[in-house]
Amino acid sequence: MIRVSSHAGALFLAILTSFVFVLLYGPLAVPIVSSFFSVSHGAVDWSQPTLAAYFALTGNDSVLDALRTTLIVGAGAVALSVCLGTGLALYYASPNAVGQEFLQFLIFLPFLMPPIITGLALLIFFREIDFERSLVTIIIGHTIFVLALVYRTILTRLQSLSNSLVEASYDLGASGWQTFRLILLPNLASAMAGAAILAFALSFDETMITLLVTGTQSTLPVRLWAMMRLGFTPDINALVALILLFTTVLCLLAVRFLIPAGIAAGAEGD
Amino acid sequence: MPLGAGMKAPSHLAGEDQSAWRLGRWAAAAPAFAVPLCLILAPIALFLAYSFFSVDHGNVVYSPTIANYVRFFTDPIFLPIFWQTLLLCLAVAILCVLFAYPVAYFLTSLRGRRRYVLLVLLLVPLLMSYVIKIYAVRSILGGNGMLNRTLLALGVIDKPLMLFVFNLNAVLLTLTVLLIPFAVLPIFLSLERVPRALRHASADLGASQAQTFWRITFPLSFPGVASAMSFVFVLAIGDFLTPQMVGGQSGFTFGRIIYSQFGMAYNWPFGAALSVILAAVVILAISLGGRFGRRGERT
Repeated sequence: MIRVSSHAGALFLAILTSFVFVLLYGPLAVPIVSSFFSVSHGAVDWSQPTLAAYFALTGNDSVLDALRTTLIVGAGAVALSVCLGTGLALYYASPNAVGQEFLQFLIFLPFLMPPIITGLALLIFFREIDFERSLVTIIIGHTIFVLALVYRTILTRLQSLSNSLVEASYDLGASGWQTFRLILLPNLASAMAGAAILAFALSFDETMITLLVTGTQSTLPVRLWAMMRLGFTPDINALVALILLFTTVLCLLAVRFLIPAGIAAGAEGD
Repeated sequence: MPLGAGMKAPSHLAGEDQSAWRLGRWAAAAPAFAVPLCLILAPIALFLAYSFFSVDHGNVVYSPTIANYVRFFTDPIFLPIFWQTLLLCLAVAILCVLFAYPVAYFLTSLRGRRRYVLLVLLLVPLLMSYVIKIYAVRSILGGNGMLNRTLLALGVIDKPLMLFVFNLNAVLLTLTVLLIPFAVLPIFLSLERVPRALRHASADLGASQAQTFWRITFPLSFPGVASAMSFVFVLAIGDFLTPQMVGGQSGFTFGRIIYSQFGMAYNWPFGAALSVILAAVVILAISLGGRFGRRGERT
């Protein structure tokens, strides 16, 4: 622990930290607060709060369509990336693996490279193999993008498990599949759940790759992107408020599954 | 190394069986490699090849040429925007570190649980919609935004400031606000690793607080600063949404030019060549960050 003993210095640091919090969270308050008021002639009418913008959303077909697309894409990308990520993590950790460092490098590549490069590479690839751009291409793009995170989360948990668990299972005559299903899977379950939530949150948010590999469908962020170019309107604000609420809940869930152990360990090691 | 721990190469097998067993290992590897090879390596290889193709009347000509690269280095439009974007992203990286360092320092001065709760709160915005954050910052910076209206109401200015509206300054500020959390984390992690004993020793030997900071703490946390700068730089340079949303006509960046090659300009091979140059810059930034980022870990 670093001790800031001079009072002026400590005060300065505290003020600066608060300022950064204002920078991070302050801007988000603007659309949330104004979503409860109506806008006429470009000015917000502060006299009376209203839920009109929220009711208007329920009748907005393009937004509802985009929401449906986003949920389908998210579910698809989560299912694919968790299966793939678990398989790849098991492969990486198995003593018979060959070329696992190269494999890991490939998995990390789309996460390290700017999304515009991943998106363009997939766009060109789909065109060259004559694969029409659709929901499927979005799901593939998202899967590739979130795979590194899912894989890493599951591998970390896998490597923290004791070898003797698996050895004991084999010694007692379990087959490879039985060992996976009865020993590894229960131990990996919470890491897989946390990884799935993080993957869903990333997919829910992904805009750059989606913009490039989408056909005619738009996901929620892409739809929002199109709406936002037109300006600052109550229905965008209402949608923004709802999405923020949803992602906050996702965050809390992910923290619940993944971080408690980390915090506890960190606090003890203090 | 859990799964398959009981499947060590059986040493009693004859040479021929050994090689068959090795072949079997590669066969077992095939499904693991299938997806990454088909959906990650193949697209990137194709994309690299594309940068050497050209376009004729909207059709891609599949014969190798370096014309795209020659065009980038000789055309008077692209190089200035390229340098300008590098400078912009470097400025974003420096600004982010200037904000993030004191914050990370403050966090490490807190005790126990509070420290990690604040850290998580700083990282939460990372999971929030990127597009929404850009939109939110724009609503503050805009000509009719909160900043201008507040300043007008306070009487500081008498007409809206256009300094931060639809130009590179707006891109700079927006990217900084969006990317600060990425800078906090690595700096926090490196500050947390600075051994307390070293600082105590420094104080015991009569160094002032400032001396201890500049000669002990800062040099030891420098790897975190290097990683933070490379993270922020890479994220900033790959972004085309922010400049598109807040940059207006004058805020043109390299990412926007690449994106436009796949839209209006419709020259995919040229866009691919520009992206290869972007990838080269990114690889350079990551390896620089990695090099300086790791230096401290060995000592």
